[in-house]
Amino acid sequence: MSSRDDILGRVRARLNRTPENAVTGRAAIEAALAMKAQGPRPAMPSQKSALVERLVEKSLGFSSTVERIGTYNDAPAAVARYLAGLDLPLRAVVWPQLAHLDWSGAGLTVEARGAVDRDPVGITGCFCAIAETGTLMLCGGPESPASVSLLPETHIALVPASRIVAGMEEGFALARAELGQLPRAINFVSGPSRTGDIEQTIVLGAHGPYRVHLVVVEND
Amino acid sequence: MKLRAHRFKQNALEALANPVLQASMKKAKGKFVDKRAIAIKEIDDFEATREAAKEIRNRVIENLDLWLEKFEQAAAARGAHVLWAKDGAEICRLVVDIGRKHGVKKAVKSKSMLSEEAGLNLALEAAGIQPVETDLGEYILQINDNEPPSHIIAPVVHKSLDEVADLFQKTHHTPRKTDIPQLTREAREVLRQHFLSAEMGISGGNFLIAETGSVALVTNEGNGRMVTTLPRVHVVITGIEKVIPTLEDLATLMRLLPRSATGQSISNYVSVLTGTKAEGESDGPEHLYFILVDNGRAEVVGSEFQDMLRCIRCGACMNHCPVYQTIGGQAYGWVYPGPMGSVLTPLYTGLENAIDLPHAATLCNQCGVVCPVKIPLPDLLRKLREKQVERHLRPWFERLAFRLWAWVASRPALYGLGTRFAVRYLKWLADGKGSIPRLGLAPEWTRGRNFPTPEGRTFRELYAQRGRA
Ligand code: SF4
Repeated sequence: MSSRDDILGRVRARLNRTPENAVTGRAAIEAALAMKAQGPRPAMPSQKSALVERLVEKSLGFSSTVERIGTYNDAPAAVARYLAGLDLPLRAVVWPQLAHLDWSGAGLTVEARGAVDRDPVGITGCFCAIAETGTLMLCGGPESPASVSLLPETHIALVPASRIVAGMEEGFALARAELGQLPRAINFVSGPSRTGDIEQTIVLGAHGPYRVHLVVVEND
Repeated sequence: MKLRAHRFKQNALEALANPVLQASMKKAKGKFVDKRAIAIKEIDDFEATREAAKEIRNRVIENLDLWLEKFEQAAAARGAHVLWAKDGAEICRLVVDIGRKHGVKKAVKSKSMLSEEAGLNLALEAAGIQPVETDLGEYILQINDNEPPSHIIAPVVHKSLDEVADLFQKTHHTPRKTDIPQLTREAREVLRQHFLSAEMGISGGNFLIAETGSVALVTNEGNGRMVTTLPRVHVVITGIEKVIPTLEDLATLMRLLPRSATGQSISNYVSVLTGTKAEGESDGPEHLYFILVDNGRAEVVGSEFQDMLRCIRCGACMNHCPVYQTIGGQAYGWVYPGPMGSVLTPLYTGLENAIDLPHAATLCNQCGVVCPVKIPLPDLLRKLREKQVERHLRPWFERLAFRLWAWVASRPALYGLGTRFAVRYLKWLADGKGSIPRLGLAPEWTRGRNFPTPEGRTFRELYAQRGRA
C-alpha cells in the first residue's frame, strides 16, 4: 500500500469516515471555501488618509524609514536623496515595472532585472500595503522579481497611497480580483531582516536587507 | 534527532548544575513573556481571535482526510508534487531521492522541526548531499556537532555569547569576535555563499492553505525567502495537521502566531508560496515538492488527545512554563520541549519512551492560558499520567507506594494512627524551627526547598476536638 493510502486510510478510520458522511464533509468544505469567512478584526480607520498615517507609524515601528512624495515623477529624486544622505552607492536594480521612470535624470544608474548577490540597492513597487501592521505585500512575477527586495542590503519600495489597505484580508481579496490565481510568491515584508538568536539581542540584516525605506506616493 | 526523553531526570539535574545554561535561561526569561503581554493588547478582542483560531484548527482536524485531499488537488494543479511519508525514515528516503534525481550536492535549509524529527541532516550527509542550516540559531547548533535545539523558535536560547564566539572562531578560522552584530554579519557572509550555490532548498511550513495549494512560511531573518527563491528545487516538509482552509484563515492565525511567539505584531517576512517559477520569471524554483508527514499524527486524530493537533508551534507555552524556564529545552530529550513537548513526545514516540515528561509540569496552567489556540495542556498531561498508570508504566516503587497508600487509606483506624505518628515525627524533626531543610526519607522533595513544619496534630484530631467544643 502506498504511504498516501496508508496515512489517509488511518485518518479516515479514526474519523469514522463513510461514503455518506464524506459527501456532507465535502459539501462543508466547499461551503467554507466559498464563504471565505473572516475572523475578528482590529478596528481600522476607513479614511484613506488615516490608513496612510497608520502605515507610516507602524513601518517606523519595524525600523523602516519613510518619505512621502507627491507623484511618481518625484520618486527618482527622492530615492537619489535618500541614498546620497546615507552615503550609499547611486546604483540600483529596479523592478522592470518601474523602469520607465526617469532614474538617470536624478543621477541614478539603474538596471531593470532580478537582483544578484552584489547589487547594493533594490528598488521595488508593491502590490499593496497593509496599514494594520505596516507591511508591504509584494507579488512576484516577470515584472516584479522577488530577489530585488531580498538580496541587496538596501530595499527601497514605492508605495502608492491608493494601494494602502486595512489588513491582509483586503490584500488577498485584491490578489484574487486582479490576478486571478495567486502568483508563485507573495512576500509580506515588515521592515528589515532581523535576528534575535544570540542572547535575544536584536540585530538588523540577518540575511535580507539592512534597511527598508518606504517612499509613499500620495497622488499616483 | 535521537530520542533522549527517557533520561529526563538526569538531563534536568545536569541542566540545573550547568552555570552557563542557568545564566542564559535567566537572561531570556521575561523577554518573551513581557513582549507578548504588550503585543496582545493591540488586538481589540484577543479572546475572540483565539476562539476563532481554535475553530479554524478544529474545523480542519474534524475533516482532516478531506482537507488533505483538497490541498493535494490544489497544489498539484499548480505544478507541485505532493508526496507522503509515514515516518522519519521515509522523509529521509524521499528527500534523498529528490536530491539524487536533480543532481543536488548541497541543500540549504530553513528551520523545519519535521526534519529534526527525521534526523534528516545525517541522512543527507550519508547520501553525499551537504545540508546547511541557515536560521542563525540552527546554524550555530549545526557547527557545534549537530547539537539539538532547545527551543522551537529560539534554538540557541541556552547558549552564551562566549560560546558562540568560540564556535565561530573555530569554524570560520577568523579572529575571535564578541560583538553580536559582527558575529551576525560573519554568519550572513558565510551563509550567503551557500544560498547562492545550493541546488535545493528545504523548508518547513507554518501552514498549508487548502484553497490555493500554497505553503505559508514565517521568518524574521529572511532565510526562508532565500531558500525558496534561489535554489532550483524546493522541498517543503510538514505534518499532515498543518492544513488550514483559506487565506482569510491565514490572516486570522497571523494575528496570533508572531504575537504569541516573539511578541511581534507580525514577523518580518511572511511568504505565501504557490507552485513553481512562472514563465519569464527570473527567480523561484523549477520543481516544488510537498512531503506530508504522519510520524504519529494520524493516531492522534479522533483520540482524547486530538486537541493537541491544533498546535501552531508558537512556543508561548514553553516561554511561560516555570519548569522550562528552569531547565531549558534540551532536558526534554526530543524535538519539542516545554509543555507542548511533554504532550507531543509521548504521543509521537510512545508513552513508554517518555515516562517522566507528563510529570515535568506543575500544572499551573500558565501554558493553557497563553496558548493561542486554547489547547488545554494541563488536562492532556493529566490524561497521559492516567494512561501511564493504566498501562502499568510507572516504576515499581511508585506503584508499590500507591498500593500501600491505598491499603492504609481504606482502613480509617490504621490511617489515623499512621498520620498521628507522621506529624509528630515531622514536628520532632523540625526541632522547634519553622521548616525542615532535609527530609531523610524523600530527599528529592527538599533538594530545592524546605518542608514546612506540621503543627504536631492531624486534621482529624483537631476536628474531633473542636467538633466537641
Ligand atoms: S501548544 Fe499552544 S502555546 Fe504551545 S506551541 Fe502549541 S500553539 Fe503555541
